[in-house]
Amino acid sequence: MSAASAIVVDGLGFAYPDGKIALTEVRFRIAAGETIGLVGPNGAGKTTLFLCLAGVLRVPAGQVNVMGLDPGKPHDRRQLPRSVGIVFQNSDDQLFCATVGDDVAFGPLNIGLPADAVRERVAEALERVGLAGFEARVPFHLSAGEKRRAALAGVLAMRPELLLLDEPSIFLDPHGRRELIRLLSRLDGTRIIAAHDLDLILDTCRRVLVLDGGRLVADGPAETVLSDTALMEAHGLEVPYRLRG
Amino acid sequence: MHYYRASYNTRMTLLLDIPATPASPLHRIDPRWKLAGLLGAAVAIAFLQSSLAACAAMGAALIVAGIARLPGRWFAERLGAALVLPAFFALWLPFVARPGDSVYEGLGIAISVTGVERAAALIAKAAAIVSLVLVLLATAPLQDTFKAAQALWIPGWLVHLALLSYRYLHLLGEEFVRLRIALRVRGYRNRARVHSYRTIGQVAGTLLVRGYERSERVAQAMRSRAFDGRFRTLHGYRTHAADVFFFASSLLAAGTLLAWDLWIRW
Repeated sequence: MSAASAIVVDGLGFAYPDGKIALTEVRFRIAAGETIGLVGPNGAGKTTLFLCLAGVLRVPAGQVNVMGLDPGKPHDRRQLPRSVGIVFQNSDDQLFCATVGDDVAFGPLNIGLPADAVRERVAEALERVGLAGFEARVPFHLSAGEKRRAALAGVLAMRPELLLLDEPSIFLDPHGRRELIRLLSRLDGTRIIAAHDLDLILDTCRRVLVLDGGRLVADGPAETVLSDTALMEAHGLEVPYRLRG
Repeated sequence: MHYYRASYNTRMTLLLDIPATPASPLHRIDPRWKLAGLLGAAVAIAFLQSSLAACAAMGAALIVAGIARLPGRWFAERLGAALVLPAFFALWLPFVARPGDSVYEGLGIAISVTGVERAAALIAKAAAIVSLVLVLLATAPLQDTFKAAQALWIPGWLVHLALLSYRYLHLLGEEFVRLRIALRVRGYRNRARVHSYRTIGQVAGTLLVRGYERSERVAQAMRSRAFDGRFRTLHGYRTHAADVFFFASSLLAAGTLLAWDLWIRW
């Protein structure tokens, strides 16, 4: 892995226990600090790829390197949550504690930070996503946009070097979506955003990967890839309205 | 349809809500001692058999709820909802006479006086235990109570199960509402016939499958944030004399009730 590469995926394959092949021979490299869009039709393998990168799904050793860690090695896999944060498609899957504050504190407590440092991280993360003072709020009383931001705060509290966002704009109204784009543009580090919302990808990413049927079928500058009508239609996607001639 | 959904969700959310209660002496008790004391009392109450002792237990539990300054309506609604099931069983007891029961006969029906006492004991015990549980829930943040449960060596899986059940119960309720709407817009109405029973079975099965899939995703979300099976919170505990006094008083009261119950039956 080169010093500047945050992620190296080299021939990654993954099949679920029921035999369904989700990823086949996926290869790409992402430099530190890049923001990448990951697009593809339903069932393309986007979420599976995220789960493999985050070490949630087990992959063979040597196929993936994320921030210098190999998710295929048990020791490295245990270290991954400190470096890789994943915001899930449905915020309700992620907000499982009784209060927002407890949920944001969940990760930092798990990595053994002292209480004062955890409180500091919770306040900082909620402030960054615009939810300062929401510590005592109950997750199921939040709006969809607030839930999304609370879920993001829970991940930011871990101070990850790599952020994986799975359909971040889903369930959001136009205002919530604009807020999200503003928020994403303020975040540091390496990011991969998987989305069907291609305008969001255009607004936030310079490079795009296209995944279909578990295979990487295109990798290039966002405008070039997303304006390729033949490529988009061949893989169940549409050229964003803004790029149509 | 829209109004039905809104009203159901509101009811569901209200049912699961834990209200902000005014400070009371019980709020200041260390959650570990409080949980141990109230759980011990609840177990003792479950063993009571005489209606007199059970009614006394219910009275004591209601006094504890009063000391905890629980909002009256919140408390009454949940107590009422929780008593529906035991009431269903208690309703039949006066009409089921066992050998040796004293029976009152009149107006062409036979009522077992012992059965009435059994029904009263059942309802009183259920009311007492539910009241203590509501006191437990309302006088400390839920997270603190779960952490207290772990500190008392209650198995971690049981604590997590309780926490996640609380968190996801309303989501399953929402799924159920969506399924009901999907059925109704396709002309489905509940009727006493095979098609309805089959549909209800399919809805239950769908909810189970969705619940399972959600649990998979929740587990993934937990693992991605370094969860290793141990539950941690920010809140520390310190034992004071009042905590030990509360615990001892709870057990003493429960022990006295048990002894009285044994004496009555002997």
